[in-house]
Amino acid sequence: MLVAALVLAAAVAVSATLFAVRVGFLLRLLRAAPSVERTGDVPRRVQNEATIVLGQRKLLQRLGPGLAHAFIFWGFLVLLPTILIALIGAVDKRSTLPWLGHQGWYALLQDIFAVLVLVGVLSALWIRKVQRPRRFEGSHLGEADLILALIATIATTLLLWHACRIALALNEWPRAWSPVSNALSHLFGRDEATRVLERVLVWAHVLTILAFLAYLPRSKHLHIFTAAVNVWFGRTAHRGRLEPLRFDDPDVPEDELRFGAGTAADLNFKELLDTFSCTECGRCQDACPAWATGKVLSPKLVIMGLRDQVLAQDPSALVPQAVPEESVWDCVTCGACVQACPVSIEHIDHIVDLRRHLVMVESSFPAEAEPMLRDVERASNPWGKAQSERADWASALGVRVLEAGEKAPEYLYWVGCASSFDERARRTAESTAKLLQAAGVEFAILGPRESCTGDPARRIGNEYVFQAFAEQNVEVLNDAGATKLVTGCPHCFNTLANEYPDFGGEFEVVHHSELLSQLVSEGRLRPHSNGQAITYHDSCYLARHNDVLEAPRALVAAVGEPVEMHRSRRSTFCCGAGGAHMWMEERGTPINAERVREAAATGADTLAVACPFCTVMLDDGVQGIGSDMRVVDVATLLAEAVEDGPSRPTS
Amino acid sequence: MVLVFVDSGEDELSRQALAFARGFEEETVGVTLDGAYAPAAWGEAIAEEAKARGPSAVIGPGTDRGNEVLAHVAATLNLPMAANCVSVTPGAPATVTRMRWGGSLLEEARVHGAPLLLTVAPHAVAAEATEVELTRLAAQVDGSAGVVERVQTSTAGVSLADASVVVSGGRGVGSAEGFAVIEELARLLGGAVGCSRAVTSAGWRPHTDQVGQTGTKISPEIYIACGISGATQHMAGCKGAKKLLAINPDAEASIFASADYAVIGDLHEVVPAISEEIRKARAK
Amino acid sequence: MNILVCVKRVPLTGGKIVLTDDQRAISTRHLGFTISPHEECAAEEAVRLIERHGGSSAVLTLGPPEAEEQLRDVMAIGVDRAVHLVTDGEEWDPQATASAIVEAVRAEDEPFDLLLFGNESADAGNYQVAIRVAHALGLPCVTGVKGLSIDDGRVRCEQEVAGGRDVYDVPMPALVTVKEGLNLPRYPSVPGRLRAKRKPVAASNPARPESRLEMVRLLLPPGSGKQVEVLGHGAQAAPAVVGVLRELGLV
Repeated sequence: MLVAALVLAAAVAVSATLFAVRVGFLLRLLRAAPSVERTGDVPRRVQNEATIVLGQRKLLQRLGPGLAHAFIFWGFLVLLPTILIALIGAVDKRSTLPWLGHQGWYALLQDIFAVLVLVGVLSALWIRKVQRPRRFEGSHLGEADLILALIATIATTLLLWHACRIALALNEWPRAWSPVSNALSHLFGRDEATRVLERVLVWAHVLTILAFLAYLPRSKHLHIFTAAVNVWFGRTAHRGRLEPLRFDDPDVPEDELRFGAGTAADLNFKELLDTFSCTECGRCQDACPAWATGKVLSPKLVIMGLRDQVLAQDPSALVPQAVPEESVWDCVTCGACVQACPVSIEHIDHIVDLRRHLVMVESSFPAEAEPMLRDVERASNPWGKAQSERADWASALGVRVLEAGEKAPEYLYWVGCASSFDERARRTAESTAKLLQAAGVEFAILGPRESCTGDPARRIGNEYVFQAFAEQNVEVLNDAGATKLVTGCPHCFNTLANEYPDFGGEFEVVHHSELLSQLVSEGRLRPHSNGQAITYHDSCYLARHNDVLEAPRALVAAVGEPVEMHRSRRSTFCCGAGGAHMWMEERGTPINAERVREAAATGADTLAVACPFCTVMLDDGVQGIGSDMRVVDVATLLAEAVEDGPSRPTS
Repeated sequence: MVLVFVDSGEDELSRQALAFARGFEEETVGVTLDGAYAPAAWGEAIAEEAKARGPSAVIGPGTDRGNEVLAHVAATLNLPMAANCVSVTPGAPATVTRMRWGGSLLEEARVHGAPLLLTVAPHAVAAEATEVELTRLAAQVDGSAGVVERVQTSTAGVSLADASVVVSGGRGVGSAEGFAVIEELARLLGGAVGCSRAVTSAGWRPHTDQVGQTGTKISPEIYIACGISGATQHMAGCKGAKKLLAINPDAEASIFASADYAVIGDLHEVVPAISEEIRKARAK
Repeated sequence: MNILVCVKRVPLTGGKIVLTDDQRAISTRHLGFTISPHEECAAEEAVRLIERHGGSSAVLTLGPPEAEEQLRDVMAIGVDRAVHLVTDGEEWDPQATASAIVEAVRAEDEPFDLLLFGNESADAGNYQVAIRVAHALGLPCVTGVKGLSIDDGRVRCEQEVAGGRDVYDVPMPALVTVKEGLNLPRYPSVPGRLRAKRKPVAASNPARPESRLEMVRLLLPPGSGKQVEVLGHGAQAAPAVVGVLRELGLV
């Protein structure tokens, strides 16, 4: 027994040392990384741990693979004490863990969960080897196989060890408590062979665990520690908000200022933790509209590429070595990847940080986006049109333009550049204004004093230009005493509501569909339905980033017969304009074509949208596939339903 | 007497300058210089001639060369010079109306100096085909910056500046490949392809295709502007067009204020349709 | 090498020009500002030449206090310092502008090897300030340059003309005016912009002499009086378009 104890102690020491060395290395990297403010809102973080980690909520969105993993995970939690039981048992076959080791019900749990673990492993193997889903393209399947084999070995040796102990009558509880082990025990007689086998199995079990422990931090199985931590540090609110950079930190010498991520050392704490948490599951890749249309970008491969360069401590530029240049620009910041990820990796932050470095330090970005950047900065809008013409659409309607020094009425209607300057998006502004007037809502627009929110500059990576506009717009809005903002553009909405607070702008921001549906429910606007089939396309920035789902639907229901697409609500499929793609060329299959095909397949004549970018992109898409579908904003649909014919209450 | 700097008296813009000079109702004398172009030397020679002959005005065409030479004359004589004038009222001081912003704005100015030095905005007046006395001057080119070599550039197709038909694309084209429909229409009409400044900034076409205040100034019989909103700097490049057809999906686009013909629609639909109609018409 | 670039702050006019009530200026309310595209290329060329040949560069403007914004923009792409001849916003005519520039150049400790200007300013378009400066400083002057290279104390310039390019070869010090198309101006980096915020600007307030080209008023060109004829919407307008083309003898 002493020999056993010494050998075990040595094995544990070796394994623990190997584990500690690697973990120490990873912790050093994490400590050296720039920090991120993710400590507030603790109740929400606790809730996320409960639902996402313990409850496996995101994984269970795909029931089959989700259950397989849940079995393995819950099994791991329940069986954790068995590691200690096995370690003790390896030294002295008659000893076990105090109290828990003597409980029959715990033996039952062990049996059940060991079997569940094996069911999980076998399901996983079936999925990976037989079904072979496409989300694993690019993942290291060999490593996964090894991990599954190790888990299976651990579970199997556990069950067989118990079977031997039962055959040798070593346990104190009735056999019935361990139905599976009991059934297996009939394979073994109460003899010397079984006595030897019992020792072999417990040592095999223990050594497998110790080997696994040493291997763990050197493989993607590290996620068993990092995932829970990563979920803790994920965003709890304001999903669409990007972290601002500081350009004027007095404590940091200028040549050490961080402008995004150029090398691995620039990745912040959360980004680093993201790379340590990735299991290469590919759910993000499956959700990505760029990948789905044949582009180079796979969010999974981005995180894997960054991880590899971080772990190799490679100081060279992240682009193109860790992440190909096309991947950086393919992204439309739709957030489908972030939503899909079971371990709360936030891929958009990585891509935007890579863009920030490329744009702000290298001045390297797609050439066709340069006019947009120059126009935003000099002309205050990405269309490069004169700001003096910004309110031209409003003059015929008698909309009030708030002059400098005047105080805003109840609502400040933030029109946005698209609705001011693009002829298709302009209809939305006209409809919205007419509806607000008809309902007697007091509102005004800023007209030429409304500059671009800076969203396209921020999304393409020019944080510097964005911040200049954020500060300027906040000042104008605060000077006007604006408190309630209503806007028809989800990108403006996201920036005004979630990002301007970082610059001193605290406003109550509603999307025009929210205000309009409220007016309808209050009876101040009375549309009548013409029963036309309408399918509604959720804007990523409205639905996924900001949870505005029902208000536009209420408007659609008030004017026609809604037909839902399969990929709807927070599972919506992007129109392709996000991430400054409104101004970038797209190579390969267009994302908007993919989406309008889905819309056309519903059979609806009308495709309703709630975003000026979606309006343009989907209208282009509809024309591109030769469809007759009419792409129209919910505000315009409502305006037409209010005008057409006699009005009657909708109730 | 009015001295008029002409290249040979034959080219359109020189003859316009001569016609403009006749507005002074004085004797018109053309001056020209032989040999390789040397702007400072040529300016000095003309200045000398002016000192000798005491004209009331020295004018030139509002071409690159005309503006440059007259500027040298002005610098030599330390006199004001009004470039790109559309009209003049002689006097002491004379009053001119001249172009700003490539012609999108006009300036009325008094010129305090004699002789009056000015260049004539292209197409401000019609050329006249009358005879004029030409004085050939000799310039002292030694040591003065001058042309040492002429490099011929082969332009495949029609040169933008001379084309009688120009078809241009703007932001609305969307990509370099999108220009295929523009090129097709230009080819069918025997014209040149142009573009707006946004297009060259986006890297879709080279700067040599750019029509605008800082690009090429064109004067075709017809200018077909597709997906171009009509920024003043672009319009400055195409004011010389006799007819302007604008194709734009935005009925409020400012280009329609200067257009003769309008088609409200997306160029990707309209332009191929026009090309198809042309092919059908020619097949008959 | 020591290079000077001269620029001018001009408004971005958009689709139409609006005048102030007194008709003596463009109404710049809600307009952004920039330098002419020719001058952007001149600034870019200066930076490239210094990168290739070593030395230092400066940017100069005669303009109102707000023109410092344009000076910082030019310094953001790599020009080392700025000279700001501050005006009160009133216009200076070409001769006055040239004199002020000449005086500022003469006041410099180190002479410039190359002075770069845009071919003409975007707004006034007088086509003569650079040439006057060259005369006053006794420098050879080449205008409208679209290709430029420096070798052994000489500048080889290419000027675009019908059918080709005229080549000039002048010794430095020289003055060159350039046209857009000479190069592709770079997009400024943020570190460059931050550095530019702290680069030196030597400001002075020259007195404005009497204008000899005296602006009386500005006016919008008379509308041609033409009414635009809408030929149709979308592809359906094609036959009408071809009708017009036929009238013009093109089809």
